Amino acid sequence: MTAVVRTRGLSRHYGDVTAVDDVSIEFEQNRIHGLLGRNGAGKTTLMSLLTGQEFASAGTIEVFGQSPVENADVLSHVSFIRESQRYPEDFQVRHVLATAPRFLPHWDQEFADRLVEEFRLPVKRRIKKLSRGQLSAVGVIVGLAGRAPLTFFDEPYLGLDAVARQLFYDRLLEDYSEHPRTIVLSTHLIDEVANLLEHVVVIDDGRIIVDEDAETLRGSATTVVGPRTAVDAFVGTREVLGREGIGGLASVTVAGLDADERRDAAAAGLELAPVSLQQLVVRLTGTSEKEFEKSA
Amino acid sequence: MTTATLTPSTPRLSRRLGDIVRLHLANPMTVIVVPLLVLTAMFAVMIAIALMIVIGTGDSSAAASFSKGFQYSGTSFYIFVYMMVVAVQAMNATFAYALGLGVTRRDYYLGSAVTWVLFSVAWSILFLVLGAIEQATRGWGMNVRMFTAIYYGEEPVGRAVIVFCAFLFFFFAGTAAAAVFVRWKALGVTVMLVGLAFVLVGLGFIVTLTANWPAVGAWFVASGPLGVALWSLVLTALLAVAGWALLRRATPRG
Amino acid sequence: MDEGRPIFLQIAEQIENDIISGQLPEETQVPSTNEFAAFHRINPATAGKGVNLLVEAGVLYKRRGIGMFVAEGARARLIDDRRTRFADQYVTPLLAEAAKLGITPEQLSTMITERSTS
Repeated sequence: MTAVVRTRGLSRHYGDVTAVDDVSIEFEQNRIHGLLGRNGAGKTTLMSLLTGQEFASAGTIEVFGQSPVENADVLSHVSFIRESQRYPEDFQVRHVLATAPRFLPHWDQEFADRLVEEFRLPVKRRIKKLSRGQLSAVGVIVGLAGRAPLTFFDEPYLGLDAVARQLFYDRLLEDYSEHPRTIVLSTHLIDEVANLLEHVVVIDDGRIIVDEDAETLRGSATTVVGPRTAVDAFVGTREVLGREGIGGLASVTVAGLDADERRDAAAAGLELAPVSLQQLVVRLTGTSEKEFEKSA
Repeated sequence: MTTATLTPSTPRLSRRLGDIVRLHLANPMTVIVVPLLVLTAMFAVMIAIALMIVIGTGDSSAAASFSKGFQYSGTSFYIFVYMMVVAVQAMNATFAYALGLGVTRRDYYLGSAVTWVLFSVAWSILFLVLGAIEQATRGWGMNVRMFTAIYYGEEPVGRAVIVFCAFLFFFFAGTAAAAVFVRWKALGVTVMLVGLAFVLVGLGFIVTLTANWPAVGAWFVASGPLGVALWSLVLTALLAVAGWALLRRATPRG
Repeated sequence: MDEGRPIFLQIAEQIENDIISGQLPEETQVPSTNEFAAFHRINPATAGKGVNLLVEAGVLYKRRGIGMFVAEGARARLIDDRRTRFADQYVTPLLAEAAKLGITPEQLSTMITERSTS
């Protein structure tokens, strides 16, 4: 196992506000990581710190074994297109496509051309005149065709329709398979990307609350549904991740169950429902699902 | 877990700075075309005024008596000041973009500085050529003096140095202002301008109270245009350092 | 892909199903990890984990530089395994549901016989 990113006690304060709070994580080489959390949880700040765009208040960051801050050796291997990335206002799309490759040594022009066509991006349109989705497509293309060994995608698909999003996922997987690299995908459309992720980091209120392999997380929680008394009896002293109820019915999310426990639950007349990654994150970050989606 | 190390593939510094120069030039509209249009427009206005005088007096030789006036015209000054605008626009536009692509602030600042020095050279050459034409055509046939205004001196080399220093000064004044803008947005620039006004007024007061205006005037006369231009390099260097001091802690915002 | 169950298990199961159904005969090559990943839109590492599970179980084997192949005797072995798991997977929940509805095992057995002959 090889870490590309390693932080120890990393924090970033803005006055009284702590955007990133004592974060110690590692991102392994050539994996697709999901950086999940609510809006304002600290995702963008964390990525800004890891790419030397922000300055840490405390703690250490190693990217490829070195501090990324003002480090041309490290940063020439890194690309981070923000959700709200600013491009030179007088630029047309083609100016971006002409300048970005100079700073991304692994750029693949053919791949870029193909993506421009697939996303139907008008290259002679000024950046200012692009729709939100087209602007996102510019970031997606720079991020994918740049093939930086460490690529951050920050909510890369705001305004993209379902077809374009699927195109992004497909091209990402395809190109990642052929050119493995470390990818960090920050998003709140968790259901859509859950299967692409190998590793999941959930950040809430600046703190890391989950740092786990995606496969371990999947099936790590189950929702038990049934009459309140039966559910309570079954749940007992187990760790409860979330609880809802109507009248005499209760729906309680608990940590993973093994086969025997599942049989017991079935015998007690309880229904077991799988918990998706998105539901799990919602439970862990203490939001109602509706609220979570609304933050999109 | 071990740590991934880098296969050193970072381009050399010269190449990295060259890439920043090209970034500023990627869309020549803002940094080259518009300033040239501004210059052309100002030139056209000068010529129009000269024509009015010639036609109004009905005698082209009559304009000669106005050439004294023309040589004090500061029209070409506006193009210097405009370079401040160019530097602010260019750096405000590209800073966040360059950092997103993994450029260090240091490379970005040095590359931008190289760009402005190259621009100053190019503009000085243009002024020198146009100045030569102006002299050869006796002020475009009407004793117009735009590129050979009296402030530049009568000697071409001295003129070139003065023009070059002026361009440098305004580019780096723009760079410092851009750094303030990138870091603190419009509010920062406003505060800076108000502060600058206070400092200048304060200096004026001190000079007035100490009755030193004649000395100041004498210094300008003694130094001559060339001397003042060379002294401006000190100020330019200070602006360049100030710009870097501000930009090195700037963070791109959405 | 189902929610809540490890994807690599589901991938392994699908390959097993294809072997049992005869869609992937013994000694034929199975799609590559990347092909599985692209087809199911999942992480290649996850697909690889599913494939490796079957390699460890001796269902698939690697030919260096070529790819993965279905092992000889894999089908018979898989069917054996599935039969063993059948009771746990289907009969136990069937009995639980029947008990909930007041159906005795005898009645259940009659129902099964009736259905299968009709």
